[in-house]
Amino acid sequence: MSAHLAYVGIGTNAGDRAENVSRALCGLRGVGTLLARSSTYRTAPWGRLDQAEFFNAVVSLETELSPHDLLDALHAIERRLGRTAGERWGPRIIDLDLLLYDDLTIVDERLQVPHERLAERAFVLVPLAELDHRFAAMRDALPPSELAGVTRVEREGGTVMSSELSSAVSGRVRALADFLSSGDAVRVRIEHGGDEIELARRRQHVDRPRRANDRAVAGAATLRFDTIKADLVGIFNLSRPAPSEGETFDGDRELAYIEALGIRTPVHSMGAGRLVSISATDGAPVEYGQPLFSIART
Amino acid sequence: MIANRGEIALRINRACQELGVLTVAIFSEADRDSLHVRQADEAFCVGPGPAGRSYLNIPNIISTALITHCDAIHPGYGFLAENARFAEICSDHGLTFIGPEPRVIALMGDKATAKKVVREAGVPTTPGTDVLRSLEEAYEAAASIGYPILLKATAGGGGRGMRVVEEPNELQRAYAGATAESEASFKDGRLYVEKLIRTPRHIEVQVLGDEFGNVVHLGERDCSIQKPAHQKIVEETPAPNLLPAIRASLHEMALRVCRHVGYTNAGTLEFLAAGDDVYFMEMNTRIQVEHPVTEMVYNIDLVKEQIRIASGEPLGYRQSDLAGRGHAIECRINAEDVRNHFAPAAGTVSKLVFPGGPGIRVDTHLYAGATIPPYYDSMIAKVIAYGDTREIAIARMERALSETVIEGVQTTIDLCMEILAAPAFRNGRYDVEFLSNELALR
Repeated sequence: MSAHLAYVGIGTNAGDRAENVSRALCGLRGVGTLLARSSTYRTAPWGRLDQAEFFNAVVSLETELSPHDLLDALHAIERRLGRTAGERWGPRIIDLDLLLYDDLTIVDERLQVPHERLAERAFVLVPLAELDHRFAAMRDALPPSELAGVTRVEREGGTVMSSELSSAVSGRVRALADFLSSGDAVRVRIEHGGDEIELARRRQHVDRPRRANDRAVAGAATLRFDTIKADLVGIFNLSRPAPSEGETFDGDRELAYIEALGIRTPVHSMGAGRLVSISATDGAPVEYGQPLFSIART
Repeated sequence: MIANRGEIALRINRACQELGVLTVAIFSEADRDSLHVRQADEAFCVGPGPAGRSYLNIPNIISTALITHCDAIHPGYGFLAENARFAEICSDHGLTFIGPEPRVIALMGDKATAKKVVREAGVPTTPGTDVLRSLEEAYEAAASIGYPILLKATAGGGGRGMRVVEEPNELQRAYAGATAESEASFKDGRLYVEKLIRTPRHIEVQVLGDEFGNVVHLGERDCSIQKPAHQKIVEETPAPNLLPAIRASLHEMALRVCRHVGYTNAGTLEFLAAGDDVYFMEMNTRIQVEHPVTEMVYNIDLVKEQIRIASGEPLGYRQSDLAGRGHAIECRINAEDVRNHFAPAAGTVSKLVFPGGPGIRVDTHLYAGATIPPYYDSMIAKVIAYGDTREIAIARMERALSETVIEGVQTTIDLCMEILAAPAFRNGRYDVEFLSNELALR
């Protein structure tokens, strides 16, 4: 399976919009590896004017899904988020649009990539250009009145004192920081149990000269992430010595085994790399397809 | 644990909820957004979309049951429901398989041994012979059984190596043709003779047995309206225009077979009926798709009864306590292109309105926005109509189907409407050839 670069637009104008965006991000993490996300923008409603303002953002992600499978996965996330507690069949509160997929042009009855209204919508182009400078010129070509309708939502600054972090979490933060400084990624987010940690490097705009068909996101090409998933149902156990987040291995390493019906099936790293995260809990059940490890290949 | 998907998984979940039994659902990656996953207390993914790697993946299913501390597994219909080996593996791991004993599943699951056992119980099966050794034997057998007959290949399937023989002078040619065809298809040219039952009705009897030797029947269902390959599409109970003596005899024969084999839990005996003659065809050792019509008329929750029986409870009623009341019809709504040989139609349901009102029940796993994966059975909903009389039930069904809106996929709703409107259905005089004769389909 090869990895593809996709850009997805997020839009919401109902309920807790900031929460919707972060839930969408959470869902998108299930369909690929998030490489970068734009700031969130506030946009006057488009089309119908009697609605609340939209929150819009764009993310880039690396995915193994085909364009149509990705579209299905986006629809699945929309459906999941559209049903809030208490109102199962409530209104759709999230829109996920597949904007770009590699350099492909796709037009069929289900899908149009690049997205058909990409060039005319400020709320797509502004966040998109933040991630990919190729779109800056297209953005700047929009009428100023359009651009004025899109304003950045200030993110609530969250500086967590390290004393507030449990040692387990701070260990993980250190591993992430190591990882960030070693690669070209600008933002890394990890979920583990109930915890969610996001670390970002302060962005330094180093505009490298690019060829017209250059792959978009800075640094994305140098890193590949593999998610090792469970291929059977059983109890997940870390191998001894237990692997730790941040650990690197030169060759194949047995990371864990899944015990089912008295048989232990080993889980391997499938080659060299750096262990970014352990997603399953030692000694807990895992289902088929559940992510176990995330490994960065260099 | 509910080891199934779709409407039957929801149906079983509902019975469990009412009984206060916690549930674990299993699902494939293609069913992640399916309703049965959301309604169960817990849900585990057991494999990718193709059923062979998920809903038939015995190690993952058993492992899930053990991890989640399940006591019992309800297999629904299809998938592992009639797999004696699976039932055995369940019991080896201390899990109760909700169905008859593995021995009985194996016995009744093999058509040849089932017929033998049924004959031992004194119930007629389609007259036929063992393997023929010569053309002369074929002549003798055909003469004693009576024309028309079927010549069938022992290794046969899908109609290959099969010939209809109307008269003795056709036999020689048919014998040669069937032998050659079956030799070519299966590398086995052996043939046997079976009586050809012309335009039979497909009538089945619902039974329930507990672990204390009590067995009852819950009437019959007429399932003669079938698509190609004997797939049922409209079912009703009671069977219309069935002579009281034949009805009573079918019920009695079903009970006799169950007592003979020591049948427990829910099951269905399928018979062919032609004129005054009835023949046992096969037994399904599980809950049937069309069980709701029986539930409506007998006011009994068959799935709850299955769970109660499996947990060791006695039936709690005798045959004389049971009486059907009224009439019920079921229409199966499949995602299929009727005019294109019933080709399955996968897709996403864009709009959905189900019927309601007096006497209507809908069993479905569909919701607006649901995607129908290409891997599984095409049935997406069952609409059941009940009325004091057959006429009322038909009128309610027509009303209900006309209220139903399913957009995004092709369905069998219009076909069901045509069936309901056909004179042969109206007057309750139809047989298994109905679809080809009345609606020129098949």
